[in-house]
Amino acid sequence: MTITKEAAGTALTLSLQGRLDTNTAPQLEAALKDALSGVTALTLDFEGLEYISSAGLRVLLSAQKVMKKQGTMVIRHVNPTIMEVFEVTGFSDFLTIE
Amino acid sequence: MEAILEHGALTVALTGHIDSSNAPAAEAELMAIRDREPHEAMVLDLKDLTYISSAGLRIVLRLRKLEPELKLVNASAEVYEILDMTGFTEMMPVEKAYRTISIEGCEVIGRGANGTVYRIDQDTVVKVYRSQDCLPDVQRERELARKAFVLGIPTAIPYDVVRVGDSFGSVFELLNSRSFSKLIAANPQDMDHYVGLYVDLMQKIHATHVKEGDLPSIRSFADSCVLYAKKELPEALGAKVEAMVNAIPDTDTMLHGDFHTNNIVMQNDEVLILDMDTLCVGHPIFELGSMYMAFVGFGELDPTVPEAFLKLPYAVTTSIWEKTLLRYASGDEALAARTGDRARIICYLRLLRRSLRRGGRDNPESRAWIELCLTRLTELLPRVDALYE
Repeated sequence: MTITKEAAGTALTLSLQGRLDTNTAPQLEAALKDALSGVTALTLDFEGLEYISSAGLRVLLSAQKVMKKQGTMVIRHVNPTIMEVFEVTGFSDFLTIE
Repeated sequence: MEAILEHGALTVALTGHIDSSNAPAAEAELMAIRDREPHEAMVLDLKDLTYISSAGLRIVLRLRKLEPELKLVNASAEVYEILDMTGFTEMMPVEKAYRTISIEGCEVIGRGANGTVYRIDQDTVVKVYRSQDCLPDVQRERELARKAFVLGIPTAIPYDVVRVGDSFGSVFELLNSRSFSKLIAANPQDMDHYVGLYVDLMQKIHATHVKEGDLPSIRSFADSCVLYAKKELPEALGAKVEAMVNAIPDTDTMLHGDFHTNNIVMQNDEVLILDMDTLCVGHPIFELGSMYMAFVGFGELDPTVPEAFLKLPYAVTTSIWEKTLLRYASGDEALAARTGDRARIICYLRLLRRSLRRGGRDNPESRAWIELCLTRLTELLPRVDALYE
């Protein structure tokens, strides 16, 4: 998986490419840990993301917890397969998906 | 048009292709059935409906005016999409048809008490249940897994419920993992490390608060155990155990209910938990009681029972229990000893109930269990004054 970071003031966009699974989830976790301080608007761009596993969902869950305290978190360009995962797991009820 | 009346609900099947050419005839037939059969609620079964045009949708709208509780079931993916795009899924309950999958040629990766787990593809498995009337259980387990997942409990993603032949199955994410039982068997020298991870996960579960009504409470089960024990124990001890169980606070924290080392697995460095069908809320002492039962209690008459189940020697399963208890008590040995006695009382209450319900005194095996539980409880109850700290 490749992560591309783009920061503009207190807004941060992370674009993900590939598979967010048990092997790559720690990579996103580390990227967020380093970058979230002071961020008030986090955007995760899923345009290039093909697959998400439970490990990936857990990283989103903890990012959402952090961002709830300090700003907003939006997920963009979710493909139908991943949208289905968000729906069956109930994640679509509390994530902001555009 | 086929119609079935069951428990006051009239189910009518819509079939084929419904458009402006046949909609008036379909509506007339539908309304005639509705007038003929007295009913309390109406359901449209869309199993054999392949297409519905706006003329067909208007029939549904007119019917709903007459039947405010109208429900649509078994919508195929195509029909569901039409209903979704037109906003019908927000106006009334619409249930999708279960996807049908075949397990022919799929690798079997596990067999449990209720079913068999097959690998369907690179990322998913299906747990197929043995009984044909399993649908409520399948849906229940899936719903529990989903709640746990959203609360942050590390478990496999519960995907959808599917039809497999005459039975049903639950699709889960495939984990590439090994159970703690297998890890401890392979690396006995690392036991303390695994016990540490095991207790961390247990404490995370016991610190997870659950909204009222989201999960069943352990309380009614505990009450049932007490009722059985009171019939068997001397009056004074029966009254004491009843008072002690009643005094355990009903906390709003999660219990896994079957927290043994076969259900805890490791994938890379991540510790995950499987089997959510016993998930409930209540005081952690009940979890410790069921753990004592799995690691030690089941072996008190015959040590080969936990050995066969956990695939570990009884000395090891006993040691896992003792180390877990001490770690759970943050190293406080006196606290661990008190907690151990309490967990044992819970275990013997459960085993007593189970033996009385399965065979009772007429069966030699359950009779032996009843005697053992009563002996242990008679020894423990006089010296224990509370079942929680």
